Amino acid sequence: MTSLKIIQQMLVEEFGLSTGQVDPDALLEELGIDSLATIEFMFLIEDKFKLTMPDEPVVVKTVGDIAQEVDSLVEKKEAQGK
Amino acid sequence: MKRVVITGMGVVSPIGTNVQTFYDSLLAAKSGIYKQGFSWGHALVAQVQDDIDSPFPKIKRLSLDRVTQMALLAVRQAADQAQIDFAADNGTTAGIYWGTGMGGAITLESAYRDLLINQVPRLRPVTIVAAMNNAATGQIGIDFGIRGPSYTYSSACSSSAVAIGEGFRAIRFGLVRTAIVGGAEALLTEGVFKAWNSLQTLAKLDADRPETSCRPFAADRSGFVLGEGAAALILEEEESARERGAAILAEVIGYGNTTDASHITQPNAAGQSLAMAQAIAEAALTPEQIHHINAHGTGTKLGDVSETNAIKQIFGSTAHAIPISATKALHGHLMGATGAVEFVAVLEALRTRTVPPTAHLFHPDVDCDLDYIVEGKRQLAILDVVMSNSFGFGGNNVTLIARRYPHP
Repeated sequence: MTSLKIIQQMLVEEFGLSTGQVDPDALLEELGIDSLATIEFMFLIEDKFKLTMPDEPVVVKTVGDIAQEVDSLVEKKEAQGK
Repeated sequence: MKRVVITGMGVVSPIGTNVQTFYDSLLAAKSGIYKQGFSWGHALVAQVQDDIDSPFPKIKRLSLDRVTQMALLAVRQAADQAQIDFAADNGTTAGIYWGTGMGGAITLESAYRDLLINQVPRLRPVTIVAAMNNAATGQIGIDFGIRGPSYTYSSACSSSAVAIGEGFRAIRFGLVRTAIVGGAEALLTEGVFKAWNSLQTLAKLDADRPETSCRPFAADRSGFVLGEGAAALILEEEESARERGAAILAEVIGYGNTTDASHITQPNAAGQSLAMAQAIAEAALTPEQIHHINAHGTGTKLGDVSETNAIKQIFGSTAHAIPISATKALHGHLMGATGAVEFVAVLEALRTRTVPPTAHLFHPDVDCDLDYIVEGKRQLAILDVVMSNSFGFGGNNVTLIARRYPHP
């Protein structure tokens, strides 16, 4: 999960969480990040990584899920760029 | 019918973000009006200067417009004072009656700016839930576990006065046992400011003394100053407040609400006086039993004369004997929140037996010839019944009356 560290840093900065809270297995809901906040965060990720999320809703439950989703999208983007 | 008492109140205003500071500022004639610098230029406004962000975790702030933050802070103060636990009966016997003119105006304007000027491809997903007019109402319900009815009133400058009146009626008629009532407004944006400015109702800047630019009832008045803020009250059935041993601050006894049916902006003395008459009738009083009025007193040419005439129509020969404060000179015109903020002012007048001055009335107007308390704060030997007027564009007129508790 190459994007994990950046994701964790963004979660700390955007949501005011502590670094200890944003473990890869941490459930977003337990961190107080509800569905609206998740969409908001995914939009920030799009800007940060210059990505476009798929049209269908992305199911992410943990911090690690977000990183995996981003990694996968980055890979796809790089593959398309080659 | 039930008797309705007040057990808590809270204020977030340009002259103080708690009731004590707010009222101390009014009595000291401390103005919250400044020439403020914004990203879009300078404007004469009354802005809340205190930090209203840090009380909320960053993650919660995502979906809160400034108007909702101020609303929640005011309600927190009121609920703390009332020491009430709404969850005690699962929140089902409590209601929310909230007023706002433009809801999340800052969020909405920021979204339009992003879309139309910055040309962002999409808007923030929380735009709707932060901007909608009932955003504060919903968030109050979530934070305080209110599961009874909730209403959001939007009648321009009378919005929160309507909310208080309707909450009062709901308890009086036995629909709910407790109510969170009040209102909030946060609309100091470029678009809103310039729209009001075009309407030519805003006060002209006094370059030497900007803080005195709003001058209700004065010969040289030129309009009001846009402000922001919130105020909240906890209303309860007298019986249930007494049962739980709550400290009772005052009793709400009268509410009048009328519509001019004449003009969308021009005030109408007949409609205004009818609202006062209705409130006095519901309170089962006669006009001379009112000891103090907080006037709507915006400082516009037409509005102040109309209200003066309306008061004369109701009070007749005793009109000149009633001390009248127009506190917008100091806290600005808080639009949808102003009725609630000024109702807190009259309740504090009851508590302190001292009424605030109408500030900046340096030059009297022959057409506005009542006792506007120009000399500074005034202690009153008898001060047991107070009245607050709020009149809104659209022609809505609201009067609220409260009385000392227990009644002397």
